[in-house]
Amino acid sequence: MRLESMKRESVAILGILVLLGCSPAALARPTIEELKARAVLDDYESNIVFGYNIVMQTNRYAGRYAGSALSCTSCHLKGGTQPDGFPLNVAGVYPKWRSKNGVRNGIGLRIRDCFLYSLNGVMPPEEAAEVQAVAAYINYLSEGEVIGRPPKGWGVPTLADTGADPNPPRGQVVYKRECVICHGATGEGSGPIPPVWGLNSYNAGAGLNNIQRLAGFIWANMPMGKERSLTHQEALDVAAFINLQYRPFDPREGRLQKLAEEIYHRLADIFGKASP
Amino acid sequence: MSLLRKALPDFSWWRSVDARREAVAGFTGALLVIPQAITFAYLAGVAPEYGLYCAVFVGFFASFFGNSPMVGGPNTAVAILLGLTVLPFAGRGSPMYAEFVLVLSLMVGLIQLCIWLLRGAEVFRYFSPAAIAGIKVGVGILLVTSALEGALGLSPMTTKFFYEKFYIALGAWQDLVNPYAAITSGITIAAGLLLKKRWQRSYIIGAVLIGSLAGGLIYGLLGPVQSQLELLGHVTLQALPLNLPRLGPQHWLFMEQVVPQAIAIAVLGLAQSLVIARDLKASVVRNLDLHREVFAQGIANALSPFFSTFAGSGSFNRTSVAVEMGARTPLSGIIAAFSVVFIAWTLGPLLTWLPMPVIAGVMALVGIGMIQGNEIRPLRNRVDGPVFLITALTAIFLSLEVGLLVAVVVSVAFFVVGVSRVKFSVSHDGNEERIVVTGNLFYASLDRLAKHLHSTPTARTVLDLSRVPYCDAAAHDMIRKIRAERPRHGGRLEIAPGA
Repeated sequence: MRLESMKRESVAILGILVLLGCSPAALARPTIEELKARAVLDDYESNIVFGYNIVMQTNRYAGRYAGSALSCTSCHLKGGTQPDGFPLNVAGVYPKWRSKNGVRNGIGLRIRDCFLYSLNGVMPPEEAAEVQAVAAYINYLSEGEVIGRPPKGWGVPTLADTGADPNPPRGQVVYKRECVICHGATGEGSGPIPPVWGLNSYNAGAGLNNIQRLAGFIWANMPMGKERSLTHQEALDVAAFINLQYRPFDPREGRLQKLAEEIYHRLADIFGKASP
Repeated sequence: MSLLRKALPDFSWWRSVDARREAVAGFTGALLVIPQAITFAYLAGVAPEYGLYCAVFVGFFASFFGNSPMVGGPNTAVAILLGLTVLPFAGRGSPMYAEFVLVLSLMVGLIQLCIWLLRGAEVFRYFSPAAIAGIKVGVGILLVTSALEGALGLSPMTTKFFYEKFYIALGAWQDLVNPYAAITSGITIAAGLLLKKRWQRSYIIGAVLIGSLAGGLIYGLLGPVQSQLELLGHVTLQALPLNLPRLGPQHWLFMEQVVPQAIAIAVLGLAQSLVIARDLKASVVRNLDLHREVFAQGIANALSPFFSTFAGSGSFNRTSVAVEMGARTPLSGIIAAFSVVFIAWTLGPLLTWLPMPVIAGVMALVGIGMIQGNEIRPLRNRVDGPVFLITALTAIFLSLEVGLLVAVVVSVAFFVVGVSRVKFSVSHDGNEERIVVTGNLFYASLDRLAKHLHSTPTARTVLDLSRVPYCDAAAHDMIRKIRAERPRHGGRLEIAPGA
């Protein structure tokens, strides 16, 4: 009799425990702050924290491969949590073919490309701890997304056709009016505000070097605090102005190769051979 | 109090120092150590800065507290073992991994200081040079195989046995091998082997230059995307990279589990350092104090995590270069440490573009250097040969720690076998028998002599023990008994006078 009641009791306790375990509170993703406050992190969690640190302060935590004053969060706003601001909850859409490099990109290659182009740095190897940490952070952010379906607010909005070409001189006027306060007259930025052109900014191979995409980014996210206040045409103009300025060259163009081709053509001309 | 005096740095060498020669030796050592520091940091699985800091701070403290021209700093075997020990506990290269490497280095340093307190330098006399050579060849082969990954552009693989890497690389080379990486490291290795004929010691610098040039050309012509050449990346050095090693619950758990490995690393580091110190004592620095060297190594490694770097030990090749260039005092090591800072700072921006396949080439060259030449000399000796072979094979097939243990056991075993071999020659002078015994007479070596004496109970024997350095109680007993028995059979046993 006594055994029976004990059995019933333990079943009830077990049931409550199971219910507690399944409750949304226990399942909810811990915030980065909660993770950082824990005394013991397992490998996956410590990797997420490392990835978050890299995204927020790339030069400090992944300085080996970064090459500009930008951090990931300069474009992937708020640590990649801002819809329409290149959010990073994209683990479900990779691997994916991209015209940029003409191959299927896993999340690793995608991250490495960012180091090479947008951060104008050195391409880290696939197995670099930095790459894996950012991948873990992307996985962490992607919790709850549907695999294979682009998340809400993926990338930046594509602006509707304004019917007019982008006009850099008018863009310069907009830049002086709206952007110069933070990004500076020579686009140099300061502190956490990223440089938008010059040798410390993204290079000519970066995704943002595309006027349409930069315009979408500016329209949806800039100026901070007054988002979506520019007209589509103004956003296009200022994007055209910014991308006309000097910045590091596209690393896909082998500079030495160009030089060698030049020398070959000159020599071919001199010796009267048909150039290929 | 006397312990403190022993621990404080001893600058008595200062009076007899030839500063110019020491400076030249130190600067050359610094040039040599930079490619090695980066390579060994890669082996340990941490950022290249750690390797350079190791050359600077471990090198500095080992010389500052030491009393010999031995050059300390990053060491192949120690770096490999640090990497292998931490690998199961954290993702290679992650912050957690780096913290574990630092904590392990602290443990290694403290264990070495304990060995110093126990006057442990004596123990290392039992490491036979053949066993150390075996360990070095084992490390050399490990190096060549780990170089294979970088040289061919493979991802790091863990395999049970070293030859599996060759097997995998051969079997799937079309899919795995990056031809540009293979060409770059091939050029580095070939240049190194060619230059080695002319410049025995500094050929690695030339190999790095030629390899980097080749890699840079490929990189420049094809660009990073097509060539897929991996570069070293930015090396950001701080003047004083002070750091307090973190000791959270995870670190304590880790420390608890790696005690045996920490002991093995501490012993291996000291063993290498003391072999060098012993050589130096025999050749150039007669008043070298081995105990002080143990202390210097221990304190340098114990301090290493506080300067964001990992443990090291004395370096065979850099010490021999320094001594050849005329280094006789620790001053050369101190100058080398400062020179590394200077050179690394000037080279900093250039190091960014150093192709990783060149690093792999350096690894292979260092490995080949360890396998070739003088190292396999013990093979020809009848006793040293087996010790060498057993140690090398264990180190290659099982692990370095096991190799180390086997090295001690085998050294001692062969030593004991050698010692217990007793020779005796019997000559007859009329009806008198004269036995000359050569060797140590003790319980393990008595058998044959006792058998002979028992078989001739009637003989009149003179026992010449003048060539017996040691005779234990069992031997005394045996001789006394036979001496007492002989008259009953009509024989006699005498000990030759003078014994």
